[in-house]
Amino acid sequence: MDTVSTVKSSSRRFSGLVAGLVATVLLAGCAKNAPQDTFQPKGENAKMINDLNLLVFPLAGIVGVLVFAFAFYVFFKFRDTGQPIPSQSHGKPAIEIVLTIIPALILSVVGVLTVRTIFDLAETKDTEMVINVTGQQWWWEYDYPAQSDMGITQPIISSGQLVLPVGTKVLLRNTSRDVIHSFWIPALNGKMDAVPGRINLLRLHADKPGIYAGQCTEFCGLSHANMRMEAIALSKKDFAAWVANQQRNAAPAPAGTKAAEGEAVFLNQCVRCHQVNGLKKADGTPAIAAPEESVYSGAAPNLTHLMSRNTFAGAKFDLVSKSCRADVWKATSEEFGAKYLKGVTSDCLNATELRSWLRNAPAMKPMYADPAKLAATGGKYRGMPNLGLSEDDIDKLVAYLLTLK
Amino acid sequence: MFTPGSKYFLGLTGLSLVSAILYMVLVNPSDVGAVALFSLSAAAATIGGFALFTRDGDVWTADEAVTASTATMTPSLWPLVLALGVALTLVGLATTPAIFILGIAALVIGGVEWTLQNWADRASSEPAFNNDVRERVIGGLEYPGLAAVILVVIAFSFSRIMLAVSMEVAPIVFMIAAILVLVAGFYIASRPQMRGKLTNVIAVVATVLLLGTGALSAFTGERSELAKASKEKHFSKEHRECGEEVSKYYDKKASNNVSMRSGVFATIFVEDGKIYAQEIGLKKKLDTVTIARSKTVTVLFRNLDSAEHRLVVNLGEHKVGTTDVMEKVGTCTQVVGKNQEQALILNIAKQATPNAPYSFTVPGINGEIKLVVP
Repeated sequence: MDTVSTVKSSSRRFSGLVAGLVATVLLAGCAKNAPQDTFQPKGENAKMINDLNLLVFPLAGIVGVLVFAFAFYVFFKFRDTGQPIPSQSHGKPAIEIVLTIIPALILSVVGVLTVRTIFDLAETKDTEMVINVTGQQWWWEYDYPAQSDMGITQPIISSGQLVLPVGTKVLLRNTSRDVIHSFWIPALNGKMDAVPGRINLLRLHADKPGIYAGQCTEFCGLSHANMRMEAIALSKKDFAAWVANQQRNAAPAPAGTKAAEGEAVFLNQCVRCHQVNGLKKADGTPAIAAPEESVYSGAAPNLTHLMSRNTFAGAKFDLVSKSCRADVWKATSEEFGAKYLKGVTSDCLNATELRSWLRNAPAMKPMYADPAKLAATGGKYRGMPNLGLSEDDIDKLVAYLLTLK
Repeated sequence: MFTPGSKYFLGLTGLSLVSAILYMVLVNPSDVGAVALFSLSAAAATIGGFALFTRDGDVWTADEAVTASTATMTPSLWPLVLALGVALTLVGLATTPAIFILGIAALVIGGVEWTLQNWADRASSEPAFNNDVRERVIGGLEYPGLAAVILVVIAFSFSRIMLAVSMEVAPIVFMIAAILVLVAGFYIASRPQMRGKLTNVIAVVATVLLLGTGALSAFTGERSELAKASKEKHFSKEHRECGEEVSKYYDKKASNNVSMRSGVFATIFVEDGKIYAQEIGLKKKLDTVTIARSKTVTVLFRNLDSAEHRLVVNLGEHKVGTTDVMEKVGTCTQVVGKNQEQALILNIAKQATPNAPYSFTVPGINGEIKLVVP
């Protein structure tokens, strides 16, 4: 084989390889199951962003392709093949003017539409419901202030899963207790930073009942990648039922059961940080958690209705088994509410992960919770420490936690 | 290409870099030892680069340099500065950190300047050329550094004078000083022939006056009211009087406007003798504000009444030390007048309970805003 043929053959192989790689990358974006796909909006705010994107992205793509194609054409056509250097000219003013006006016009259109979308997204006058969202390492807390027209007569505290009614303009007031986090549920809206000491507003609106996944999008430490969230959109009737349940205190575990023993373990070990509304100490006084004494951010998830949610540990792990989770995720809009409100039952419980968490939480989710290394936080944990629970205690705790629906 | 000095330091760079990597792999990637080795590598690289750039301190090129001969050492004050630095450092170790730091600064400055002067003196027997060589290396640092020091001294001297004189006299002193500077500047600028020596004389006299007065004021001490306020802790929590009356100290010079708006969680209004709250996103007037625990929030107080009012946050009670005496926990704004406002930054770590409810109140106004901390 002569040299030219060898070079051409290598060049073709290389081009083929590059083309293959590009195709692989492009096709990898066509995932079937992509819960955080920004191109599938499920609410009016996300649709506004998507509508703008559908204009700007193809426009940018076309301009990009044209510019790159023209550039490569010029590089190839006028490459140095030993020809004499052509005579130099100042340029062509007409072409320069045209090539300034065309991009300016394109950008003006994009600019006007973008600014309009920004202002539309920032609209808060038509808010129907408010939820306070607080980020901390590495979970999200949601507190619903009393709003009588939504049936919320006393504050509700929840975490991990943000529950909202369908077709309602919900305003989130985002902030943080420690470092900057960012709240993002792609199907419902864009990102909004949660900054300590500031209130940043974000609107959510869901068209249909369902689960919408999201995650923290501002690097916030060791478990930033494990700081997830889910928005649960329920029909208005189902939301009212959820609210009514959330406003009930936890009932004491029936005496003489394993759950009652677990309640005692909870009082002994967990109530330092975790609050269960209605839980009473042995002397009959309310058990009030004091996370500010042990936790750097001063708060730990309220577990009063833990089993009404189907995730835990900052929505990183499922409380329900895979089949039960699939049952909820794949439910139709009509049956979703009933399936979600069923909560976690003993036959659906993901006992393996829950037990692993209780056994050694830092091993499952990296946290600054080693008692020997708390000098930087003044002796306070960031996250849940390894409590050194025995297997028997874990069994009892799981039995008790199952009662917190 | 590589000078002997630079070879040594660049070699050290390589060796310490390899050691650092080996340390991370074999011992602990996040240990302080790795940091120390990387730091050594960086420091050696810096010195090696400097040695390479200055050709180990050798004179540049033959046509620039005058033939070297036994150079006459130019008289220098830097050994004196170095000695002063040693003395101040030792004295500072036994007395105050400020003198110690001053001593370290004098050591570093004296050491660097003396070293550079010695190095430049070896270039030739021409003092002017040697000075030029020295200027090339350190001039870029010396002038800004000197300017910074002079500015600090001027500012400090001014501050001592201002703190020593009374509040009424201080603005007059400032105005006179500013007018003098302006007049002197105009005069010198308009008389080119008088520049040079006259400018130097004026600058020296002004500096001596300023430094002298500043030193005298510093020794005399701050004006008596400031000294008294500091001694009696007028601006501390003990003097935060949250009653209806205007407090003698706490309500002095109330800041009546709030510029920070983006972090306001709730606004509490007093209007027509009534108190109510508003939160972003909730259109109605509220009688309850919910703040999650351990969350830093800003609450704005706006007085729309004609009388002066303040906002008080009541956060229950706690025991004083180990006694059974209960004292109220809370805070308050300063008193503000009509259409004025103040902000409170709150971080409430403990839950409110039925036995210990929290609230916002305005002394002299009936009613309250419940503060729920779930």
